[in-house]
Amino acid sequence: MKMKDFESNLKTLEEIVSKLESGDLTLDKALELFEEGVKISRYCNAKLEEAERKVATLIKGADGSMAEVPFAAEGEDAAK
Amino acid sequence: MDLFAQRKIYSVYEITAEIKQALDKFGVLWVKGEISNFKHHSSGHMYFSLKDDRAQLKAAFFRNNNLYLKFRPEDGLEVLARGRLSLYEPRGDYQIIVEYLEPVGVGSLQLAFEQLKQKLRSEGLFEEEHKVRLPLLPGKVGVVTSPTGAAIQDMLRILRRRNASLDILIYPARVQGAGAAEEIAAGVKYFNTRNDIDVIIVGRGGGSMEDLWAFNEEVVARAIYASEIPLISAVGHEVDFTIADFVADLRAPTPSAAAEMVSGAREDLLATVGSLSGRALQAVRLLMERRRSALERVARNRAFNIAPNKVRELQQRFDEATSRMHQTTARYLTALRHRERVLQLRLIKVDLRQTIARHREILAGKRNRLQSSVQAWLKGRRSQLEVEAGRMNALSPLSILERGYAICRHEQGEILRDAARVVPGDRVAVTLAHGEIDCRVERIK
Repeated sequence: MKMKDFESNLKTLEEIVSKLESGDLTLDKALELFEEGVKISRYCNAKLEEAERKVATLIKGADGSMAEVPFAAEGEDAAK
Repeated sequence: MDLFAQRKIYSVYEITAEIKQALDKFGVLWVKGEISNFKHHSSGHMYFSLKDDRAQLKAAFFRNNNLYLKFRPEDGLEVLARGRLSLYEPRGDYQIIVEYLEPVGVGSLQLAFEQLKQKLRSEGLFEEEHKVRLPLLPGKVGVVTSPTGAAIQDMLRILRRRNASLDILIYPARVQGAGAAEEIAAGVKYFNTRNDIDVIIVGRGGGSMEDLWAFNEEVVARAIYASEIPLISAVGHEVDFTIADFVADLRAPTPSAAAEMVSGAREDLLATVGSLSGRALQAVRLLMERRRSALERVARNRAFNIAPNKVRELQQRFDEATSRMHQTTARYLTALRHRERVLQLRLIKVDLRQTIARHREILAGKRNRLQSSVQAWLKGRRSQLEVEAGRMNALSPLSILERGYAICRHEQGEILRDAARVVPGDRVAVTLAHGEIDCRVERIK
């Protein structure tokens, strides 16, 4: 999940809301913006409710390349 | 007494040797003084003078001895020097060959810290303008720390508790001792080569100033400054401040605090998104209400003389817009409610499906049994019917006739069973299985 997607979406949502609150729109435009706003807020909610987490550590190979291996915290399974 | 006979006359070399011997007698000694005329040669050797208000002593501090030095000797610095006195015969000057140097009044580490802090601050490495904001909802954190230390365990515990969906990638590095600073800097640089790291945490658990020293080294400070990815430094305890803390975009008092910082925003963001949605809905409703009353006003105003058709058209467009909005809202709310119900029912559904399957099986079994018993009943009835039909057939007069019997009727039509009812000469009608015959009685037997 790219951080930028969420932040720029949130920013767009804020812009939509202030445009709607300014009252300075045609009805059609207002409804268009509203529908877009609903779409964006659904996306944001989905992102906020993700619950997966992956923990890994880097191992340096003989040729200098980096490989990732799972990292277990104390009290967790190594396979997590 | 002959003065000339008793006087010892030294050669220059001899007297110099005597002086040298006298100097050697001091062995290893400590001298306190202020540094002046400090020069650090490209060879690595340091040359300076130690002085007080009345005298000065030349000093040489060779590379192999001064390499370990953490602080930077400079003019005006009051120091304690340990070394041996030596004399350079060809030039006739003496100096102290310094083996060890430490500042007076403040620890050498402390001095080194102050010096580097001053130097980097004047270069602008601590400037607020250079620092970047942390991302609101980071997806992946790069952590430069010891993989076996307490810091990483603390961080993971916090993240698990907050249920943050944060991916973590650890760059294992030594966090104290020789070479640690280089490893830490390498970790920061490595994460900057990747494009999936949203924030970097650099840190370790608590310790003495010596233990934390790697985070005060220039190479680490410069790597942190050069990092384009936002970076949190989380070194030691609340009271420990390192150079890394000053250069970083954000300082966390402990590694646990860094984990909190990086996972914090979730609840707030959920609330923000919710409030924004609510405001949007409110704003649109208000807009529509205003439009509606404006429309009514216009429609009522005779001076505008708007044709009734036009009014109706506008009314219709407005109604369509209203229903669109309601549909959108309704869909959104339905989707939300549906999602909630789905989540709730998921567990029950699993059981229900099994239950339904089981019941369906039972029903099918019962249906089959019903079908076969009905069929059996029908079969029974049918064969019974056939039996009855056969019996009926046997009793029918027609079949009796088929067996050769005949029905004899008197002229009046009465069926004859008794021969005494007729006399010779009477006429009788005889019905056979096929056809009828008219007969006259000849004789009664």
